[in-house]
Amino acid sequence: MSLLEVKHVSKRFGGLKAINDVSFLVKPGEVTFIVGPNGAGKTTLFNLITSVFHADSGSIHFEGRDISHLTPNGAAEIGIGRTFQLVKPLRNLTVLENVMLGAFLRTSSASKAEKEAAKVLSFLQMENVANLPARGMGLPTLKRLEIARALATQPKLILLDEVVAGLPTSEAIKLAMLLKRLPEWGISTIGGIEHVMQVVMRVADRVIVLDHGVLIAEGVPQDVVHRPEVIEAYLGSKYKEIAL
Amino acid sequence: MLNWFYIPLQGILNGLLTGALYALIGMGMALIFGVMRIVNFAHGAFLMMGMYATYVVFQATGVSPYYQFPLAGVLLFFVGYATYMGLLRPIRGQVDFMVILLTMGLALILTDAAQLVFGADYHQINIPLLSKNIHIGPQISINAPWLVSFGIAMVLACALYWVVTQTMFGRAARAIAQNPYAAPLMGINVNRVQAIAFGIGSAAAGISGALLLPVFYLFPEVGNQFKLKSFVMVVLGGMGSIQGAAIAGLVLGVVESLTSLYWGNEWALAVDFVLFILVLSLKPSGIFGSQRA
Amino acid sequence: MRKWQLLIAVIFLVAALFVPLLALTDYTLQILFRVFLFAALGLAWNLVGGYTGQLSLGHAAYFGVGAYGLALFSKLGISPWASVSLGVGLAVICAAMIGKVSFRLRGPYFALCTIAFAEVLRLVAKNLPNVTGGDVGIQVPQLFPHSTIRCFYWSGVLLTGFALALSAWIERSRFGYYLMAIREDQDTALSVGVNAARCKLWALLISAAITGLGGALYASMFLFIVPDQVLAMDISTEIAIVAMLGGAGTLIGPLVGSVVLESAAEIFKNIFKEAHLLIYGVLIVVVVLFMPEGIVGTISRKLAWFKKAPSAPFATAAPVTAEEESQRTAINQ
Repeated sequence: MSLLEVKHVSKRFGGLKAINDVSFLVKPGEVTFIVGPNGAGKTTLFNLITSVFHADSGSIHFEGRDISHLTPNGAAEIGIGRTFQLVKPLRNLTVLENVMLGAFLRTSSASKAEKEAAKVLSFLQMENVANLPARGMGLPTLKRLEIARALATQPKLILLDEVVAGLPTSEAIKLAMLLKRLPEWGISTIGGIEHVMQVVMRVADRVIVLDHGVLIAEGVPQDVVHRPEVIEAYLGSKYKEIAL
Repeated sequence: MLNWFYIPLQGILNGLLTGALYALIGMGMALIFGVMRIVNFAHGAFLMMGMYATYVVFQATGVSPYYQFPLAGVLLFFVGYATYMGLLRPIRGQVDFMVILLTMGLALILTDAAQLVFGADYHQINIPLLSKNIHIGPQISINAPWLVSFGIAMVLACALYWVVTQTMFGRAARAIAQNPYAAPLMGINVNRVQAIAFGIGSAAAGISGALLLPVFYLFPEVGNQFKLKSFVMVVLGGMGSIQGAAIAGLVLGVVESLTSLYWGNEWALAVDFVLFILVLSLKPSGIFGSQRA
Repeated sequence: MRKWQLLIAVIFLVAALFVPLLALTDYTLQILFRVFLFAALGLAWNLVGGYTGQLSLGHAAYFGVGAYGLALFSKLGISPWASVSLGVGLAVICAAMIGKVSFRLRGPYFALCTIAFAEVLRLVAKNLPNVTGGDVGIQVPQLFPHSTIRCFYWSGVLLTGFALALSAWIERSRFGYYLMAIREDQDTALSVGVNAARCKLWALLISAAITGLGGALYASMFLFIVPDQVLAMDISTEIAIVAMLGGAGTLIGPLVGSVVLESAAEIFKNIFKEAHLLIYGVLIVVVVLFMPEGIVGTISRKLAWFKKAPSAPFATAAPVTAEEESQRTAINQ
C-alpha cells in the first residue's frame, strides 16, 4: 500500500499554474526526491501536502485518508513532518529547545520531550550544539536543526525542502548519508532539490522531475537523468543533441 | 417643508466638509504606512503641533489660519523628517512592535510637552469668517470657514495624489512600497525617500491641524481622536492606499455626521470603530481602492 | 539565570508582604498597591504580548470589564466577591470574542484591532448612562471593609505572586514552548503541529482573567469609576509599557518594569505636576532605542556574554549565514 498518494493535483496563483495535474505515489520506507529548477513548483507541492495551501483540483491521500483539506498543524499531527527551504529556527531558543518543540507533539511532558530531542540530536550528530541559542548558528547547523525538529515530531513521512541547498558539497554528502538512514526509523522521505545530483544519486530510491509545475519524468535516478525531456528541462533544447 | 429630504442632505453636506479634512489627515497616515509599513501613533500629536503652531502665529500676528497654514506644513515636514532620521531609521528592521511603541512614546512626549508649555486649557480663536454662513435655498446653509477649509483640503489632497503618482519622488516611494529589498538595487536612496515621505505625511497632519484650528477647540490631547480616526481611514482605504484613505475620509465624515444627526454626537466615534472592526474582520485589504500608494 | 531571577522575585514578594507592618502612610501603601497591581497586569499581558508576541494595546478592555462587572453585578444585589468572579468571567468572554476576530490579523493590524475593541467598550460605557452611569460614573462596593488599604496592598502582592507562579509554570510547559514558537515563527509552529489559533486564544483568556481581576481590585480601591479612567487607552498603554520596559517575554521583567516605571512616575508627578506622563514617553523611546529587550532582557544578555561563549561547530563552515540567504531570496522573489 502506498503511504502518500497525490492524485491529479493542480494549484494556480493568479494566472500562474504552479502545479499542473501532478500525480505520484510514495511507498513506506522509500526515499523520493523531487528534482526541478527554481520555480518548478517543489515548494508549492510541499505546501499542498502539508495543507498550507489547498489544491484547486485533485486530491491527496495519506495512509488511505483524504488529507486535501487539513490544516498545517493537522498535517503534522497525522505524521507529516517538514522542513523549510528558508530555515526558520526559533532564534531565541536553544537548539535543544527548538527540537523539543517538535517532540512536544507526541508528549506533554517536558522531560520526555527533552529525551526525544536529545535522541534526534545525537542521530544528526548535533549534541555539541544542543545548549547554544539557535541565533548564532551557521547555515549547515540550521539546516540540520530543521530536520531535527521535524524528526522529533516522529513523522511517518518527512518533506525536506532544499535541505542541502547552500551547503558545501562535503557537508551536503555527509547529510545525505544520514538521510539514507531514515527508513531505519520507519520514515519515508520526500526531498525537494534543485541540483546537487550526487546527493540524489546516492540517496534516492526514486526521482520525480518537475518542470513549470508539470511532472515530466519519474523513476529510478540512474534512469531518469538520461531521459531527453529531463535534459531539455535543465539545459534547454539546444544542448539536448550534444548531451545525448 | 421637505424636512425628510433637507435634514439628511444638510447632514451629508456637513459630513463632506469635515470629511475633506479627515481625508487629508488619513492620506498623510496612508503615505507613511504605504512607504514604510509604519503605523504612526504620533500622527495625532503632529496634528496637535500644527494646531498650536498656527495658534501661536495667529496670537502674535493676527493672520488668519487660512493664509498661514503653509507654515504649519513646513514646520511639520521638518519635524517628520527629523523624527524619521533620528528615531525611526536607527530601529529599521526591528519588529512592528518596536516602531509602534516608539511612535507612541513620541506622541506622549509631544502631548505632555504641549501641556507643560501651554497648559491643559482649551483655546479657541475668533476670526470674522466664523460668523458667515452661506445659504443655498431656504433650508441648506454652510458655515463659511468649513467651506474654505474644504477647498484648501481638496486642493492639497489632489496635489498629494499628484506628487505620489506623477513625480520621481512618488515613483521611488511606490517602488519602495512594493519591494523594499529591490528598490535600493534600482538606485533608489531608500532612507531619503522614506524620510521625505514621513515628512510629507507629517506635513499633511500639520496642515490639517492648522485648518481645524478656527472650527475646533485646541487642547494638548486634541490629536488623539484624529489619530484614531486616521487608523480607521487607513484600514478602510486599504492599508497604504492614499486615494483609498481620501475616499475613506469623506465617507467617515458623512457616516459620523449622519450618526450624530440620528443617534447623537456621542456615538459617532463608536460607529467609526465598529466600521473599522467590521472591515478588519471581513475584508482586511480595505474597501476603497486596492492600489498601494 | 532563570532560577536566580525567580529566587530574587520570590524573596522580593515575600518581603513585600511584611511592608505594611512598617508604619507607612495610607498614601504610600496606595502607591505600592499600584506598583504590584501593574506588575500583575504586566505579567498577565506578558503571556500574550511577551511570550506569544502579539502586541495587544487593548488590555484596558478586560481591565474595564472586570471593574464594571464588579460595579454592575453588585448593583443587581449580588455579593461583592461573587460580582468579582462574574466580572472576571465577563472579561474572559470579551477576550474570547476579541481574540476570535483579532488573532486572524498579524502585525500592526492586530494591534489596531485590539485598540478598536477597547475604544468601542469605552464609548459604549460612556454612552449608556442608564446602565453604566456614563461619564458621571458608578459606585463600586468595598471589597475589604476592614484595614482597607493594607488588604488592597496584600491582594496586589498576592495577585503578582500568582501571576508570576503561573508564568513560571507556563514558561516551562509545552503550552509555553508553543506560545514562544508562535512568537518566533508561526509557520514553523504550525509545521510541528501547534494549533496556533487555539494557543493564542488560551493565552489571551488567561491574561484577560488576571487583568479583569486587577480591574476589579482597582475599581474597589477607588469606590467609584468612570469610563475614561478604567477603559482608557492609557491603561492599555501603561500595561504594555510596564512589560516592555522590564523585558517582554522574560519571567520577572514586568515586575521590574512596574517597580521602575511606577516609582519613576511618582517622583516625576511631584516634579512636573500635570505633565508627569512625559516620563512614560521618554522611557519608551529610551527603551526602544537603547535596550529593545527591556531591563531584564538586556541585563541577562550582558551576563550571558561574560560567560565563555562555546564555539559553534559547523558555524565556520557556513558559506552564507541564514540571514544572508533569506535576504538574497527576498531580493530574488
